[in-house]
Amino acid sequence: MDNGTSNSASENETITLKSCDGIEFHIDARIANRYTLLNNWNGGESACIPNVNGKVLEKVLEWCEHHINDPQLNCGDDDSRRRNTIIEEWDENFLSCDQDMLFEIILAANYLEIKPLLDLGCKTVANMMKSKSPEEIRSAFNIDNDYTPEEEEQFRKENEWAEDY
Amino acid sequence: MIPLPNECLFEIFNNFRTDYKFLFSCLLVNRHWCRIIIPILWSEPTDSIENSKLIRTCLLILNSEEQAQLIPFKIILPTCPKPLFEYTNYTTSCGYSLNDGIINWLNENYLYKGVYDEDDYNYDELVSAVKCSLISMFLRTSRGLKCLCVKGIIYNREIKNLYKNTTITTLKFYFNRVDYEGIKALADTISKNTSLTSLSIYQLGSKDLKMLAEAFRKNVSLISLTLCGINIVNLALKQTKH
Repeated sequence: MDNGTSNSASENETITLKSCDGIEFHIDARIANRYTLLNNWNGGESACIPNVNGKVLEKVLEWCEHHINDPQLNCGDDDSRRRNTIIEEWDENFLSCDQDMLFEIILAANYLEIKPLLDLGCKTVANMMKSKSPEEIRSAFNIDNDYTPEEEEQFRKENEWAEDY
Repeated sequence: MIPLPNECLFEIFNNFRTDYKFLFSCLLVNRHWCRIIIPILWSEPTDSIENSKLIRTCLLILNSEEQAQLIPFKIILPTCPKPLFEYTNYTTSCGYSLNDGIINWLNENYLYKGVYDEDDYNYDELVSAVKCSLISMFLRTSRGLKCLCVKGIIYNREIKNLYKNTTITTLKFYFNRVDYEGIKALADTISKNTSLTSLSIYQLGSKDLKMLAEAFRKNVSLISLTLCGINIVNLALKQTKH
């Protein structure tokens, strides 16, 4: 397993990434090597990342920097990683932000294919929904109910086996 | 709420794929979430859930032929409207809890209501008839079925087309009684099905096991084979290369 230290970039090497609103970040090149951020880096002095603004990119890069020495998982480890629903304290604090920022981080992690951060964000959102009724979830995430009452009742009845497990 | 793309919502729900209560609450939030959650929720419920309500919904998906198989047993099927989804399209594993779920459904709908007296009929036959119709339905509707477990009596009509199935990779038979036609169908599956990689047979009650030995000789795809409680002399394994 790659322990994250075998990237071709050295510790002192830095690259510059630019957010879609023009904010520049000077980051350890090993971070760019580790994630597909590199795909957005044209090999020149700086890379511009579309779709991610400076505020969100700063958070994403903060997370990447903290986890730079984490072991990299193989594709085959996807399932075990997903089923592990425990969130470390640092990550929990990191994602204790407002809901919009949390969703922006998930979108950015998905866009930049930073799988561990995407998983973390998804688990955090799932934890926010746990033990809530459908009505409470709608209210917490400001979602409209577009079921007809009859339809909702039929879905409830056809899937009520799941309610007890 | 900032709209998340479907793949992110899928990740959120799939993190808790066996937390059925959580998925149940989420699917009732709105139609969009429901469409994402149903395939996760219905992927492998019969692996662990013995709930009569699950069987009731599955029975709603039987077609007329599968329903007709239950007429001789005077089984009264639920009369709800047609299901909003063909839920079992998304099932990847038909597990051994199906059998116990059927027993619970029959107990609640017949035995406890006094419709039948336990001595009036062969309960095993009744369970097997419902199981046979449901397995036929799973084989017809589950487009990505990977695993099939069959417990109890095996009817030929239940497994006669298994040899044609191209998705199942794992077959498990537990404590089965099977007649000559059933063994023939099982042998056909072992010899002709090329997607099957794992087969487990526990306690197969039949006198015609030699046919299976010949089938094992012809099989080209099995990687794992577990035989337990089978008379090796009857199976004539010594004559095979396995």
